[in-house]
Amino acid sequence: MNGSAALRRDPAVAATALVLWLLLALFVVYPMAMLLARVFVDKGGVTFAGVFGVLTDRHQIRAFWNSLLLGALVGLGGTIVGFVFAFTATRARLPRGLLTAIDAAVLLPLVSPPFTTAIAMIFSFGPRGLITYELLGLKGVTVYGLASTLSSEILTYFPIAYLTLRPLLAAIDSNVEGMALSLGASRWRVFRTVTLPLCVPGIANAFLLLFAASLADFATPLILAGNQFPVLPTQAYLQITGLFDLRGGAALSLVLLVPSLAVFLLQRYWVSRRYYVTVTGKGAGQTPFDSVSPGMRAALLAFCALVAASILYFYALLLYASLVAALGANHAFTLAHYRVIFTEGLKVIRDTLIIAGLAMPLGGLYGILVGYLVTRKQFLGRRTMEIVSMVNYALPGTIVGIAYLIAFNEPPIELAGTALVIIACYVFRYGPTGIRTTVALLQQIDKSLEEASQGLGAGSGTTFRRVTLPLIMPAFFAGLGVVFIRSMTAISATIFLVSISWSLITVKILENMTELSLGPAAAYSVLVVVIVFAVIALIGRLLRAFRAPGQVQVASMLGG
Amino acid sequence: MRTLRWLSAVALSAFALAANAQNTVNVYSIWPENWARPMFEEFEKATGVKVNFVRFSSGEALARVTAEKNNPRVDVLFGGPVETFAAGMSEGLFEPYKSPSFSKLPPRFRDADGQWIAIADDPLVFMTNDKFLKENNLKAPASWSDLLAAPYKNMLQMADARTSGTAVTRIFSVLEVNGRDENKAFDYMKKLRPNVQLYTKSGGGGTLPVGLGQAGGGIFFIVDALDTKAKGYDVTISFPKEGIGTAAEGIALIKGAKNPELGKKLIDWATSPAMQNHFAKYKINFVPAHPDVQLEPSLAAVLKGANIFPIDAAYAGANRKRIVDRWVAEVLNP
Repeated sequence: MNGSAALRRDPAVAATALVLWLLLALFVVYPMAMLLARVFVDKGGVTFAGVFGVLTDRHQIRAFWNSLLLGALVGLGGTIVGFVFAFTATRARLPRGLLTAIDAAVLLPLVSPPFTTAIAMIFSFGPRGLITYELLGLKGVTVYGLASTLSSEILTYFPIAYLTLRPLLAAIDSNVEGMALSLGASRWRVFRTVTLPLCVPGIANAFLLLFAASLADFATPLILAGNQFPVLPTQAYLQITGLFDLRGGAALSLVLLVPSLAVFLLQRYWVSRRYYVTVTGKGAGQTPFDSVSPGMRAALLAFCALVAASILYFYALLLYASLVAALGANHAFTLAHYRVIFTEGLKVIRDTLIIAGLAMPLGGLYGILVGYLVTRKQFLGRRTMEIVSMVNYALPGTIVGIAYLIAFNEPPIELAGTALVIIACYVFRYGPTGIRTTVALLQQIDKSLEEASQGLGAGSGTTFRRVTLPLIMPAFFAGLGVVFIRSMTAISATIFLVSISWSLITVKILENMTELSLGPAAAYSVLVVVIVFAVIALIGRLLRAFRAPGQVQVASMLGG
Repeated sequence: MRTLRWLSAVALSAFALAANAQNTVNVYSIWPENWARPMFEEFEKATGVKVNFVRFSSGEALARVTAEKNNPRVDVLFGGPVETFAAGMSEGLFEPYKSPSFSKLPPRFRDADGQWIAIADDPLVFMTNDKFLKENNLKAPASWSDLLAAPYKNMLQMADARTSGTAVTRIFSVLEVNGRDENKAFDYMKKLRPNVQLYTKSGGGGTLPVGLGQAGGGIFFIVDALDTKAKGYDVTISFPKEGIGTAAEGIALIKGAKNPELGKKLIDWATSPAMQNHFAKYKINFVPAHPDVQLEPSLAAVLKGANIFPIDAAYAGANRKRIVDRWVAEVLNP
C-alpha cells in the first residue's frame, strides 16, 4: 500500500503516528543526540578528546574489560542456573506445591531493587560474616571483589533466564524426547542431542539478556566490587554524581554503547529468528515418561533447593534487619525502622507511588499504540518508529539517565526537577516490553477481523477501540505491569533525575545502604517487595479476567 | 480520550502537590537525614517555616549546586565540612550573609565576607573494633604510623575522596601532619593503600563494618564514630599523637536563591544557640560552633587531651580539586 495515500485516507492513524513521533523525538532522539553532542562537540568543532581520554586511560580500560568480563560471567552463570531451574520445573515432575515454592523464591529478586542481595552478601561473607566467620570460622576473607559481585548479580538476574527458558522447555514436544528414548538412547544422550540443541536459541537469548542486565547495573558493584574491580557503569556514576563531570561521565557511558548495542542487535535479529518449532500436529497425546533418572532428579532438586534457600536466606536476613534495632549489635525487636519510613519517608513513598502510578497507564497505552501502529498500519517511517522505540530499552540505564540529565537540565527543554522527566524515562524505557507483547499478540490475530469492521463502515478509531483493543488487552496489562515493577525497583537511569521535589524509594534505599544505615534500607526494601507483589497479583487477576493466554504474558511481563 | 483527560487531570494535581512552596525553604543537606531532620523539625516548631530537603554527600551536593548555578533549585546548603564551602566559594555559588551570631564566632568558624558560617565543629578520629584489637594484640592506634602495621592489612575502611568530604578532610589532615609536604603525604597514603579494604562512597559508610568487625578500623568524623558506639557496637575511639584535623561544618545561602529571606531565617537560627543547644538532646555529637553553647560532658571527655588542629579553609579550598585528582590517580588507582 502506498504510504501517503493511506495517510490521506486515515486521519486518526496519521494524527496518532504524528503525536508518537513527536514524543519519540523528544524523549528518545533528542536526549541521545544531546549525549553524543556533549561528547563529540566542543566549542563548535568536532572532537574525539572525550572518548579518546577514556580509551587511553588504562584504569578506564580496565573498568571496560571488567564490565565485559562481569557481564559474560553473569550471562554464563545465570543462564546455567536458570536452565537448571527451568529443566527441573518442566522435566522433574515436581509436586505442584514445590513448583509454586520455587516460583515464589525466583520471583523475589525480580520484584525488588536490584541491589538488595548485595547488602545481605556483605553481612554474610567477610572477615566477620555470618556465614564465613560465625558458621565456618574462616578468617581474613574479603567480601569485596569479583566473586561477590558475580554471585549477587547471578542471584538477582538468573530468574530472567528461568522465565525465558521455561516456556521453551515446556513447549518441546515430549514425544520427541520419548521417541529418542524408546529408540534406545540413554537419557544423557537424549538430553545432549535432542533437548539441548532445541534450546540453543533460548539459551543464547537468556545469555544476552543477562549480559545486558549486568552491563546496566551500577548499584551492585558500587556496594560489592570494592576498589580492586572497578566497572564502567559505576565509574560513570561516580564521575557524574561525585565530580559532576558530565562530559567525562557521558564519554564513559558511551563506551558501553558499543557492547550493549551489539548484544541487542544479536538478540533481536539473530537469536529471535532461530527458534525451532516442534509442534508435531495436534492431538498427539503427550506420553508421560521419565526424562530424568531418580538420581538426577534428586541432584536437580537439591541444586534448586540450595539456590532457592539462599535467596530466601538473603531476604529473610533483610526482613530480620528491618525488625531489629541494630543488626550485629542489638537484636531487640523493634518497629522503629518502619515508623521511620512511614513518617520521614512518607514523602518519598508518595512520590514513588505517584510516579509509578502515572507511568503505569501511560506506559501501557504507549506500548499498545506503538505496537498496533507498527504491525497493522502503513504510514511514513513505520519501520524506523519500531527501531527508535526500542532504543531506550536496549541501552543500559546509566546511558539513558545521563542523556536525560544532559538534555533536560537546561533550556530550551528544561524538565529537570519535575516528575515528568522521571515518568517519561520509565515510559520510554520500559514501555517497549508492551510494544513487543502487542506485536506478538497481533501477529496471532487474523487481520480480517479488523478489515471486516472497517468494511462495515467503522473508522479506524472505532475499529481499534471496539475490535482490536479488547483483543490486545493482555498486552496492555503486561506492559503496564512491567512499567510499574520497574518504576518501583529501577535505579540505574533515574538516580540521575531525582531532585529536591521528586525522589524515589530505590534512591533512598541505595543512600541508606551506602551509609550502611541498614534498618531503614531493609524496611524500604520489604515495603517495595510487598507493594509490587500486591500489584502483580492484581494484574494477574485482571489478565485472567480477560481470558488471556495468561502464562506467557506473565512471564514476558517479568522477563523484560 | 476520556481516559487521557482523566490522566492529565491526575498528572496536573500531582505537579500541584510539589508546588506549594509558600512558606517553605529548600535545602540540600550534607548532614545525614537522622541528624538534619530533627534540626529542621525544631526550626519549623520555632519559626513556622517548613524545610524541604534532600540529603547528598558533600561531593554530590557541591556538584549539584554547581550544575544548577544558573537556575538554583535550593536556597541553602546545610552542613558538610568547610572545605566543601571553600570550594563552592571559588565557583561563586554563595550569597554573602552575616547572621547575628557572625560577630561572636572565632575567625575559623566564618568566612570573612560571610559567604559561609560554621554551625558545628567535627574532628576526625580513629575508630577500631575492640575484638579485632584484642585478637591481634594491638592497642588502639595512637599514631598515623600505627595504621601501617601488618594486622591492618586489608582491614581498614575509609571514605572515597571523589564523593566524600570526610575523605578530603582526612587527606588534608595527612598533609598538615606532614608539614604540607605533598610528596611525603602521598608517600604515606600510598603505603596505607594496601591496608584499605574499601573506600566508601560516604563518610560514615565504613562505620558499620568496623562496628561489626568486618573491618578492623578506619578514620571517621567523631559524630559518626560516637553514633556507632551509641548503637551498641564495641569500638574504641582514639587520636593520633601527631594530631588530626577538624573541619567546621558550614551553612551558606545560595546565590540567586528563590526564597532568600526564608534562607536567611534558617541561617540565623542554625548559627545561633537556638539550634546548637539541641545537639545534646538528639545525641548528635557535633562540637557546637557558637561559644555560648556548652560542650556536652561525655563528648568533652572523649576529646580530652586529643591533639586536634583546624583545617585551613583557604588552603584546602584552593587545592581541593588538584589534591583529589592526584589522590585518584596515585592512591585509588595505583
